[in-house]
Parts: sequence; structure tokens; C-alpha cells
Amino acid sequence: MFEIVLDDDGIIAVEGRLDAAQAVKAQAFLDQVNGQCVLDLAKLEYISSAGLGVLLKTHKRLMGSGSGIKLVNVSHHIHDIFRYSGFDKLFEIVAAGT
Amino acid sequence: MQKKFKRSFDELKHIVKMTESVFQKTGMQPGLRNIVDLATEELFVNMVTYNTESNEDILIEMVPHALGLEVRLTDYDVERFDPTCAASVDIDAPLDERTPGGLGLYLVMKMVDSIHYEYRNRQSKITFIVDRK
Repeated sequence: MFEIVLDDDGIIAVEGRLDAAQAVKAQAFLDQVNGQCVLDLAKLEYISSAGLGVLLKTHKRLMGSGSGIKLVNVSHHIHDIFRYSGFDKLFEIVAAGT
Repeated sequence: MQKKFKRSFDELKHIVKMTESVFQKTGMQPGLRNIVDLATEELFVNMVTYNTESNEDILIEMVPHALGLEVRLTDYDVERFDPTCAASVDIDAPLDERTPGGLGLYLVMKMVDSIHYEYRNRQSKITFIVDRK
């Protein structure tokens, strides 16, 4: 199961498993986003390199116009993946519970 | 447990169910699920993406190991490609130099406790072990 939706506060909520089978859906959604983008990952259970690629591509596009992606409510496990990937140096990341 | 999967990303949801079942039966720590899921997905996706000349299903085996769980992926009628020799990724590179390429195999090497590749009779077999911590 994977869902990505824009909530009433303008935050994009990402839920479920962002794997290679769901990366196209996530990319199609994020390709429509412009300006500063906040992704709430509180309900993201799993991310693979395909999902990381979606975040990287979108972040690079948005940074090109002076904005970017901020990742909030990041769980310990997902944060480990970001750290192993070096994404903790590329993105503004706010851990869950802070 | 062993199962064969078609060469499609749509099979990932079925692979996840297989892993879930194996974890329930073996009593592996649930916290290790994401490591097994990630390594299995990355290696499976690599086979599907790059071994395009084969129409054979991919065999995945998950068996208890003295140290934890051993996972084997076997691809049939393919050229040799050793993922353990894949180029490294510079995770310290600035954003404009970063690309997603190679990140999956890099994460596999980083997260599993051991990995082994063998190629024989046009069969590629990758075995990795995730230890009980």
C-alpha cells in the first residue's frame, strides 16, 4: 500500500511503502509540485533506492528554483536509510517526535 | 521457503508477503524486516532491470541460518553480473553531482552482514545473510 496526498495545511503526506513499484506514482505526484515542499513521512513504513531517487530528482528540480524539499516526522529506520545514502547532508530532515 | 517470481516490479508486494511469512515462522526480530526487504528488493529489481534477455522467473529462497536469515536470489539464462563488484557511490558528493544510480546496491552492501555471488551455467546466484543482532 502506498499513498501520497496533499493535506489541508499544504503538507504532502506520504504513507506506506515507497518501493520500485510505487516510484512512478510518487514521481508523477511530485512532478506537479512547485515551490517549497514539506513531506510528512510519519506514516512512511519503508523506502528503497527507487523512492530515494524520486526524492533526489524532485529536490534537485526544486533547488534549481531556490526552494527544495523538507522531510518531517522521519522515523528512526527511515532516517538510517537517509544517513547511509548521504541524504542527511542534502535534505533538511526533522526526526519524528521533535 | 522458496518461491519463483515473474520479472516484474508488481511482484514486490508478493515478495514482501513471503518475507513476512518467513519472519513469523522463524521468529526473526521484526526490526530486521526492513533490511531483508530492502536488500531483496534491490537485488530483485537489479535482475529485472538489467537481465532483460531472460524470460525465466527469478527464484527467491529464504532459509534460517545459524547467524540469522539467509536469502538467495537465482536468475536463469543471464550474463554474469556480480553486484558485489558494483561501483561505489560518493555519498558525500554535493547535490548537483548526485544521481540515484548505484545507490540500491550500495545500500545492500552497507546493510547486510555478508554477501556472496556465484555464476555457473548461465545462472546468477546472490546469497546474503542478515544476522540476528
